Amino acid sequence: MKRKIGLVAAATAALVVLAGCSTPAPAPAEESADGQNITLWLMGGDTPDALRDYLKTEYADATGGTLTIEQQDWADALSKLTTALPDAENTPDVTEIGNTWSPTFTSVGAFSDISDMYEELGGDKLLPSFVEVGAVDGANYALPYYFGSRYIFFRKDIWAAAGLEVPTTLAEFNEDAAKLKTATQSGFYIGGEDWRNGVSWIFANGGDLAKKDGDTWKSSLSDPKTIEGLTQLQKLYTDASLAPVTEADSTPWVNINNNAATGAPEAATIIAPGWAHWSIGDLTPDPKDSTKTVATWNDATFGNFVLPGVDGGAAPVFAGGSNIAISAASKNQAGARELMKIIFSEEYQNMLGANGLGPANLDYASSLGDDQFAKALSESAADSKLTPAAPGWAAVEGSGLLEEFFGKVNGGGDIKALAKEYDAKIDELING
Amino acid sequence: MSIATTRRRGIRAPHVLILPAIVILVLGMGYPLIWQVVTSFQKYGLQQQFGKPAPFVWFDNYVKLATDPQLWLVVGKSLAFCLTTAAVTLVIGTLLALLMSAVTKTARLVLQIALLLAWSMPVVSAMTVWIWLFDRRRGAINYLLDMIPGVDMNRFDWLSTPLSFLLVASIIVVWMSVPFVAFSIYAGLTQVSDEVMEAAQLDGANGWQRFWGIILPMIRPVISIVLLLQLIWDLRVFTQIKLLQDAGSKSGDYDLLGTYIYKLGTSAQDFGMASAVSILVLGITIALSWFYIRSLLKEDEA
Amino acid sequence: MRRLRLPKVLLSILAIVVAIVWAFPVYWMVSSSFIPTAILQSFIPTFFPVNGTLSNFTGAVADGSFFSALGMSVAVTLTAVVFCLLFAFLAAVAISRFRFRGRRSFLIAVLIVQMLPAEGLFIAQYKMVASVHLLDSVIGVSVIYVAAVVPFTIWMLRGFVAGVPADLEEAAMVDGLSRFGAFMRITFPLLAPGLVASGVYAFLQAWNEFTVALVLLPSEAAQTLPLWLRGFVQASATRETDWGQVMAASTLVAVPVIIFFLIVQGRLTSGLVSGAVKG
Repeated sequence: MKRKIGLVAAATAALVVLAGCSTPAPAPAEESADGQNITLWLMGGDTPDALRDYLKTEYADATGGTLTIEQQDWADALSKLTTALPDAENTPDVTEIGNTWSPTFTSVGAFSDISDMYEELGGDKLLPSFVEVGAVDGANYALPYYFGSRYIFFRKDIWAAAGLEVPTTLAEFNEDAAKLKTATQSGFYIGGEDWRNGVSWIFANGGDLAKKDGDTWKSSLSDPKTIEGLTQLQKLYTDASLAPVTEADSTPWVNINNNAATGAPEAATIIAPGWAHWSIGDLTPDPKDSTKTVATWNDATFGNFVLPGVDGGAAPVFAGGSNIAISAASKNQAGARELMKIIFSEEYQNMLGANGLGPANLDYASSLGDDQFAKALSESAADSKLTPAAPGWAAVEGSGLLEEFFGKVNGGGDIKALAKEYDAKIDELING
Repeated sequence: MSIATTRRRGIRAPHVLILPAIVILVLGMGYPLIWQVVTSFQKYGLQQQFGKPAPFVWFDNYVKLATDPQLWLVVGKSLAFCLTTAAVTLVIGTLLALLMSAVTKTARLVLQIALLLAWSMPVVSAMTVWIWLFDRRRGAINYLLDMIPGVDMNRFDWLSTPLSFLLVASIIVVWMSVPFVAFSIYAGLTQVSDEVMEAAQLDGANGWQRFWGIILPMIRPVISIVLLLQLIWDLRVFTQIKLLQDAGSKSGDYDLLGTYIYKLGTSAQDFGMASAVSILVLGITIALSWFYIRSLLKEDEA
Repeated sequence: MRRLRLPKVLLSILAIVVAIVWAFPVYWMVSSSFIPTAILQSFIPTFFPVNGTLSNFTGAVADGSFFSALGMSVAVTLTAVVFCLLFAFLAAVAISRFRFRGRRSFLIAVLIVQMLPAEGLFIAQYKMVASVHLLDSVIGVSVIYVAAVVPFTIWMLRGFVAGVPADLEEAAMVDGLSRFGAFMRITFPLLAPGLVASGVYAFLQAWNEFTVALVLLPSEAAQTLPLWLRGFVQASATRETDWGQVMAASTLVAVPVIIFFLIVQGRLTSGLVSGAVKG
């Protein structure tokens, strides 16, 4: 019996020691990138295949090493990043990181200091608000990858039939959307828990999700302007949307295309990220694969405009997009830096723009083109806002508190009481 | 059954035999458990993941846990879910076992094959099918229910309230668990001798009395272990809830203990609390099964 | 006098109805995987694949990730089953045939270990496996799987070993066989149904396991089939869920298990029968 306990204790002790042995590898000072095989993590499917192939070829040309790209679903990305980034054996060398998570991971030291590359990669030309969320004490850790934005897509045919024109103020929009609602069709489709779109109403009324008070962040859901925005949103949801109260931001564009069975769309209006326009239009079978359909934009049936502000102009919407950073624990710092140079090169930035993703370097924003989508993207991005750059923000998002809160608000709850309740919950996590 | 007595020579052999099992259990479970206990006494968040040392806060996590109404709500829901689902599973499983023993060979085989198909389906596969069956717009269940006159289920969103969400989860878990229960109880039923049953019937006992008086006591050991296993599994149910949340809402209102702990750890990045809650769940599980463990050990000694 | 078997007939019909209802989701999955997604998208469910097509299947395996996931699942499951049976068998023999110091503690430990909630342990398991560089490997996951399944398997096999009277071995030893020889020749063959039942149980657990794999196999290249399937469903959801392909993918993941199960089901039920009596 004693012998057995001794054995068990020894084994356990050995394991504890072993576990303590995983420390991040120090960044080597002078190291060649030649032949280094690196891994890049991309979040979701935003980066098209053509761009991924470009990165792989360019990287092989530059260093002779292989670039492996792994795509992480947004749903699991947070937990994967949390477990993988500190681990030198399993960390991605370079990773895309959602702009809302950048502050959290930057402040805990997950990324390498790349201030020395800042000028080379674009310096002042890089989108300032994104640079900010990736910087700590004046040093840069995460830089912008691409920016997106959200704007309104609508059915011209349905709006025209109701005698409505493109609204110029937010109040007008809310009214128009309510008028368009029928028993089977949403006037404006927004899920109850969809806070990434719903927050636009908060921003438009001058409210915010959290404010920095000295050195600490405080959740500001109870702020009168925020409450004003939430009240509008609650009314809009009830009057205009048929979406389930439990639905978050998912696939809005399917709701504006004609449904194959009924010949009519689920909604007359939706709000979606700019790149959604590739999936909106008349649905026809794919010539290459008859079981799939492709959407071809039809200007007579579909249209877009930016969400109008309270007093006209553009409402501040949630700034979509991501940053990109080198993992501090990566053993291939030189190779990772080579990849960064390729990503911030003129050619790649132009490719991003050509595919509807706002390039980080604003000098190349013209590559977005000047069609209606590019114009809407630029207009809505100009005033767009980020989530609070608080150290604990990723934990707030990860715990689903915002989905819960918005769901309850849109479900008809007492906004002031809910705001107070969730302010307390968010305050516990927001400072990390 | 003869038992090797502990002669000098004999002492070595059994210890060697159980060594591989012990090693693997220590590795796979022992070390993680110790880590978990230690971490539950620490403040362990994202910063600690990236190398900052973890300060010992001793019972802070546990105090926070004891005073968190949200957690106790989740515990309550999990217990309710586990007791209801296990009970339903057991009742249906027993009924099906009885059915199996009372029908023709062909019918029995058909039923058993159907149950085997359900049992062997990987959880992820089964969840994708069930989620689609319950889909609010295209699901077959809404379609079929809608056909009942007077019932309007068109576009009914099964995942829109916590109660209906858990109802769906319960239905799915019952569907997956009944086969095991049915087979185990059926196996037990085959041990009930026919002569005793016939004698009872001749004595005038009706079906109900025969069931309660003869069958039930004989299959009690099987029922006990099966019930215990169901309670433990249903209390900790994770995969089904997580996948349903993927399809519905990730809001905390839809959490049972399994997903609650997972979220605390990987999403809110509070590993200290997650560990403390896990220890709590372990405590509840042991409490639920304490009497049974004791009786199992007693029976083994005999 | 021929007694009218009415109750039996009625009950048999009931049994068949129950069987149909119970197996419906499985049928639905297989049937839908042969129907093109465009038809599945309609609001009216299609209950029978009239113009069946294999396009969903070809689409699901198009990028080859299915096959690598299949390979990983096979490797992990076989490793886990073999080692689990081996370790559990040895331990079951020790428990049933010997009285030794620490036997009771071992039994208690085996029982309690089964109750540990996996969702809390995985963080520690991740750290442990990562620190010895065994993430994304067959060994790393197998160790955890074996640890998870061994307790229940020990209990199952214990009953079987106990059910074979040691007198048989004693008799063989009298005839000149060594203890070990007696065991292998006499007892071991009688344990076959028990080993099969335990093996099937271990196989199912390992093949279908999701939570631990989610954490210990982070890289796409090292996924097992359950992870692959979930990834498939999620990737599909960013367009609009391609139900046809999702059903085809689900079927591909389920079919090997179902076939295996149907093959061994005869042994399994007889194994469960004996186990239930002894357990």
